[in-house]
Order: sequence, then structure tokens, then C-alpha cells
Amino acid sequence: MSARLAYPGGAPHVVVIGAGSTGAATAHDLALRGVQVTVVERGEVASGTTGRNHCLLHSGGRYCVKDEEAGIECIDENMILRRIMPDVLELNDGLFVAISDDDLAFKESFLEACEACHIPALDLSKERALELEPGLNPEVLGAVQVPDGVFEPFRFCLSFLASAQSNGAAVRTFTEVVDFEGDPGTVAGVRVRDRSSGRIETIGADIVVNAAGPWAERIAALAGIQVPVAPTPGVMVSVGRRLNNMVVNRLNKPADGDIVVPQRVSSIIGTTSWSVDDPDYIPIPQDHVEKMIKCGRELIPAIGEAPIRGVMAVARPLISKGGGDAREVSRTFECFDHASEGVEGFVTISGGKTTTARAMAEKVTDMVCEKLSVEAECRTRDVPLKSYRTFYTRGAA
Amino acid sequence: MSLDVPLQIHRQKEGVAPHRDLFRVSVADSATVLDAIEAAWAWHDGTIQFRHACHHASCGSCAVRVNGIERLPCVTAITDVWDGASDVVVEPLRNFPVAADLVVDVSTLFDRLEASEMSPLRPVEHALPVEIGERPRTDDGTMVAPAGIERFMRFESCIECGICISACPTAALGGKFYGPAGLAAVQRARAEATAATEVDAILGSVDGEHGVWRCHSAWECTERCPQGLDPAGAIMSLRRELTARRLRRLFRR
Repeated sequence: MSARLAYPGGAPHVVVIGAGSTGAATAHDLALRGVQVTVVERGEVASGTTGRNHCLLHSGGRYCVKDEEAGIECIDENMILRRIMPDVLELNDGLFVAISDDDLAFKESFLEACEACHIPALDLSKERALELEPGLNPEVLGAVQVPDGVFEPFRFCLSFLASAQSNGAAVRTFTEVVDFEGDPGTVAGVRVRDRSSGRIETIGADIVVNAAGPWAERIAALAGIQVPVAPTPGVMVSVGRRLNNMVVNRLNKPADGDIVVPQRVSSIIGTTSWSVDDPDYIPIPQDHVEKMIKCGRELIPAIGEAPIRGVMAVARPLISKGGGDAREVSRTFECFDHASEGVEGFVTISGGKTTTARAMAEKVTDMVCEKLSVEAECRTRDVPLKSYRTFYTRGAA
Repeated sequence: MSLDVPLQIHRQKEGVAPHRDLFRVSVADSATVLDAIEAAWAWHDGTIQFRHACHHASCGSCAVRVNGIERLPCVTAITDVWDGASDVVVEPLRNFPVAADLVVDVSTLFDRLEASEMSPLRPVEHALPVEIGERPRTDDGTMVAPAGIERFMRFESCIECGICISACPTAALGGKFYGPAGLAAVQRARAEATAATEVDAILGSVDGEHGVWRCHSAWECTERCPQGLDPAGAIMSLRRELTARRLRRLFRR
């Protein structure tokens, strides 16, 4: 690469756009490899897609039948996250439950797919399923236990960012990218607006990583690049009563309202899927809310009597392959080096899901380090993360 | 149905005197106060700064005052705070430095929580279903995990939102008061401690002028907690234990 070091004599400097799970994990990986990092985020940490996600630490069970690659990614990352962020995971496993004969007929292919993806799966009797999760529909015909879990998305990101900060990274929230810096065909930094002062400033960078999720298309367009991201929201409904200890999924191919994720004193039912053009503000279709309650009570009947506490919707950053049903689009991720489109110093990482954020970070950090000739191995599989609270602490207590 | 809500938002930026801006936001009648703030940002003024992440009362980041009362706007229906005529007033939490607009600097809260060593995760204390604000049961309601499950784990119910500190009249006096969330976290750590030296250290950490004795027992923290928790009760519990220890020491002399 050309000698465009923004910090002559020091380590190379990388700007990461976005403080969702992907940007946070990428900042951590880069900082661990000795790269200087500045994260710029237009809002609060996790104020976009990551914050409003379903909180499901995937075992891979939801994908293994249709998408073996995504299933394997999930179980591998699930096991890594248990090692590096045990404080911010509720690890109570998950059940895939059969309510109808059609669900039960799906069990054989489900168990085979779990085995192919090396997802530990335990075939349970109806009695055992009800013993584990007494709130299940008493009509349950059988269930499979898998190592699903629950995270809290905001603290998930804070953990990665606190670790990145401890290795020298700067995290600038409420700092919005308005343009890129550099000669035509080159990205040499970002122009940002500080939302507190209104001031515009330039932050130089050897490479800029676009980790803006469903906003990645808008960011890339500033550099004259097109990235194929399809903002695909889903509605989730949180009820103000905790009804299950474990994650409860419908044993069938992914469909609307087929999962209830418990968290703290709530249970969260999800989800739906449709397409939008503008991910900034997504009005919630009321019929989706009603559908969540209807489908959710087929799994856990008490959902019908529980008070609705919160309703949220946000766009997933799925990689668009052109046309088709969003549920059929792969949930894996992709990394784009825009040098292939004639713009140096600019990469985009998109797709994926919070469970696989660390793997996404590893892939894009490998790409960035190769471009910068930084020879350092990825260590994020094994290095435990800092307490999420240290993202904010000043040590004055 | 859609509503046109007059929303006054506190504005505070570098070099601009604090004031409020009025926005007429169009939101669905099922919208929350957070939806209305987000609508003001998305459609009227992209410079409004506010914190938010989960939109379902789990992250604790969005806490503000709505018409003078501390709330999580993500789970507050706009129809619960709007009478159909008056402006809905949204202001930042009190007793924290304002960083900008509705955003406060929560570092003092997280300093205290980190110092308390309260675990963010603990074994489940009661059988399902659990209601918001339910206290751990010690009788037959105690959770017994099914055979084959060592124990179910649960995130702490406190979401570290800062509402109790904003509502606290003692915290409003300034100084270094540890505050309700910090003291309640110490009480949670105390409840889990077994070794005598550990208990001594935990109790000693709050037995000072900025600790449990500073609280004026206004109970506003418990009144306002969006999770239905009882920080004031936790402070009283620490006081009782410290008092009992003093009495025991007196009689031993």
C-alpha cells in the first residue's frame, strides 16, 4: 500500500464507523493487534440495529437446516463468547418445541442438521420438556434442547468497547460521518460532525472500516461506492412478565413469531420480516404486534394474559442477493475491499448477526491488517473482555 | 390512528444557553415517548442528542424526566403522559452533569457500580413467572432447577439507568453521596458474601459520611424505579446490619 500514514512514526490508524456489535468487536480486534483505532458513532453505543435486537445468543439451531454455514458460525462463536464475556450472558439453553404434527415431522431433519453443524442437541420427551419449562403449551409433542443463550446487546457492545479503550482506542459517540477525506480514488479519513458542538472536523486514517449496519449503503455512497445491503426490519414484543427460563423456539423452519427470548423480568416474542428503504425511523405495523402475541401464545399460553411492556423494530443489515424472500437470504456476513471498485483505504463489513460479531471483526481485521502490512495474529478468541461498566468509569469511586 | 404531540425537548450544547425547543411530532397512538423523541430527531432536527439502545427497558440508557418525573421513555406510552393539549416536556436526568441535550454523563454511577462488585448475573432466585418488582422469595417459591440443570442464571434486575439518583433529594444536595443504585448494589453484594472478612469489607465500604448514613429516607428511589426494585429498602437493610454490629461491639466491651 501507499505510504499515507496519518500518524507518521506510530502505529497505523484506523477509523471504524459504527458502534454496534460489529464496530465494537472490530475496534477490540484492531486494538489488540496494536493498531490505533478511533470509533465514530452518530448516536449512543448500540443505538441502531444491535440495541434493538432479540438478545438471542444463537446456538445455530435456527439456521442449521436451511443454512449450514450460518449454523456452524453460530455454534462456534457461541462457545467463544462463553469464554470471553461470561458476565453478560444468561446461559440457560434453549428448547425447540413441537406443537403440531408438522413440527414433529421436522424433528428428524433438525437433529441431523444439528449433528452436521456440531450443535449439541438433546431429544426430549414431552414430559421432560414440561419439567424444564412448565410454562410451555401443555399440548407440546416433544422438544430438542440446544445451547442457546441470552445476551444484553448494549452491554455486549460496551464490553468490546471497554476492552478496546483499555488498549488505547478512542470511542466517539454522537459523532456523525458527513463525508470522506482524500483524493479521488482514495479514502484518507472521515469528515465528522460533533453533535454537541456542531463543529465539523477531519479525522485522518490509513483505512476506514464501514461497520454501519443497515446504514452501510448510505455511508458507502459518500465514497461513490454501492454496497448491497437490504435493510430488513422485524418487530419484537416484550411482555412485562418473565414466563420462561430458557429460550423457546418453534421446532420448524424459521417463521414469524416463532421464538420467545426471556430476559431479566421480561419475555420477548419475535419476530417478523419486511423491507424498508429508510432505516432511520421505522413505524411499527400494529398487525405485526398482534401476530406476535397470537404466535407467541401457541408456544407459551400465558403470553396472552401478560401486559405488553415494549414494542420495537429495527432493520437487520442483510446482504442483498437481489430479489426473493428476506427469510431466504443468508444470515452470514461479507467483507468488501473497495479497492476492487477503485477506492483505496476503504472496506465495508456487513450482514451477519450479533452472535457472530467477533468472527466478523476477525475477518475484516485480517483484511485491514494485510492491507496495512501489520503482522499480528487475531487473539479475540481467548482474551477475556473487560467489565462493561469500565466503558464509563473514571475510577473516582 | 396518529397523534400530533407537542413535545418540548431540553436543549443544551456547547456555547448555547440551555433552553427548550418545541416540536410537533406525528406518531401513532400506540407510540412511546422514545418513539416521539426519535421522530423529532428523524424528521425535525437531527442535532437532538439522546441515549437509547434496547427500546424494551433492559439497557437502561434512555432514562429522562417526562413532565418532571423520571421515566424510561421506551416503555412509557405517549398517551400516559399527554393530556391531549399541554406540551409534553422531556428533560435530562438530574444529579448528573449534562453532556448535551438529553444526554447525561453517567460515569459517577458506573464508578460506584463497578466499585460495589455487584455481579451482573446471579442464580435464579424464584420460580416463574416473575413479575416486575417481585422480591426474591425465601419460602416455597424458591427456584429449584429441574434435574440435569445445575442452576438457571438470571441477569440482575437493576438496569443501571440512573433514575433513582435523579429522583434522590440527597443526591441533589451534591457532594460525594454514593447514591441509591450504588448502595443497593453493595447490599446485593453483601447478600451473596459468606466469608466474614468479605462481609466486613463490604459493610465497611458504606459505613461512612457518604454511605448509608447520608440517606434522608425519602424513598423517592424506590417510588421511581422502573424495575420495581427497592433501593431504599436495601439501604435500610445495610443500616440495620451496621447498627446491630455496633450494638454487639458495645456489649462485648
